[in-house]
Amino acid sequence: MSTNDGVENIQEQIVALLPRLRRFARNLVRNPHDADDAVQIAVERALLRLDQWRSDARLDSWLFKILRNAWIDEVRARARRAKILMPEEAGEQIGEATMEREIDRWSAEAALSRLPEDQRLAVSLVLVEGLSYKDAAEVLDVPLGTLTSRLARGREALQEMLRLPEGDLS
Amino acid sequence: MTISEETLMAYADGELDAETRASVEAAMREDPEIGKRVARHRALREAMQEAFSAVLQEPVPDRLIAAARGPTVAPKDSVVDLSLAREAARQRVSPAPRRWQPAAMAASLLLGLGLGFLAWHESGGTLIEPGAGGKLIAGAALAEALSTQLSDDRSADRVVVAGMSFRDRSGDFCRTFSSSGSDASSGLACREGSEWRIKALAQSPRSAANSSNFRTAASEDSPAIRAAVEGSIDGEPLDHAGEIAARKAGWAGGQKH
Repeated sequence: MSTNDGVENIQEQIVALLPRLRRFARNLVRNPHDADDAVQIAVERALLRLDQWRSDARLDSWLFKILRNAWIDEVRARARRAKILMPEEAGEQIGEATMEREIDRWSAEAALSRLPEDQRLAVSLVLVEGLSYKDAAEVLDVPLGTLTSRLARGREALQEMLRLPEGDLS
Repeated sequence: MTISEETLMAYADGELDAETRASVEAAMREDPEIGKRVARHRALREAMQEAFSAVLQEPVPDRLIAAARGPTVAPKDSVVDLSLAREAARQRVSPAPRRWQPAAMAASLLLGLGLGFLAWHESGGTLIEPGAGGKLIAGAALAEALSTQLSDDRSADRVVVAGMSFRDRSGDFCRTFSSSGSDASSGLACREGSEWRIKALAQSPRSAANSSNFRTAASEDSPAIRAAVEGSIDGEPLDHAGEIAARKAGWAGGQKH
């Protein structure tokens, strides 16, 4: 891939990745509207930092990482914002309302949403997004061993909650 | 032979090197129980992929596509990004108002416009009035609130509520505020000399339809005010003791040139 006319090309690749970014964002953020906002912020940041993207790295995991960091910043900003104006606003309820209706998928989604964030993101990146352990560890900024142990614990908890048919732990 | 659950998991995820993979496969042939455990890991993987595939079929909102195609295509669709707003504020002397995403756009941003103070005559008195040189300054009722209220004092039935306090980068004290009454609004004011100068005003999008419930509407965190705070705050907001000290000192700013 040439590097010069690469920008537009990368932008189109990012467009193609938007559905997956939205999916990861929903596991990261939960509230679908916030999730899309997070995607938008991440995409805008990514375009400002295209020079930092090494073309040998996967574009998807690079974007996942930016997305996650954008959300961390947002959470911090919200904590500060809570002090800025009166903290009377109720939490948003859009997320729960839509989930109730999706009974079929509710159990897997609900199970995942009940995991601690560390595990939830490890599971989301590896099992849902199909990233390698190495790439997922890179997205989350943790050593490989940390990623695999979060993944193992997350999986175990999910098996427990979903009670998938095959076998028991010995 | 014992194979750890993590190894089986890695096998199911295709993460093992050839040698370890071969030993897992040998173990699976010998012990059907191991095969079941691997199948369980695979079933979970499939279940998770299945559960989260629906979002991939959803139409992607135009604003995201526009964002991916670059800021020059649709700058007006930018989401409020505080770090960027802050960065922009750092680079410019007077930050131009950013354009917000459509939902937030509904909060009309009345930065220093005459329109602003027209809506700010409340029963309690004039909240905002024109000062020298075309500036907008706090009227008596608002100035009183800004000068005396502490942000953690939550007494009800106030026309104007002063919010958090902080110092801006020139050392002046600034405070957010929100008003009740027919035009639920919020804003940011900074102390300059003996006046509270209005730096930003935002009208709540819901104020017209929902005037009786102003507190909720006014306390909604307005992106415009949020950005104005983020663009000027130096350090953290004042705590209770900090506000008391500042109030005692008449909100006189620090190292102003």
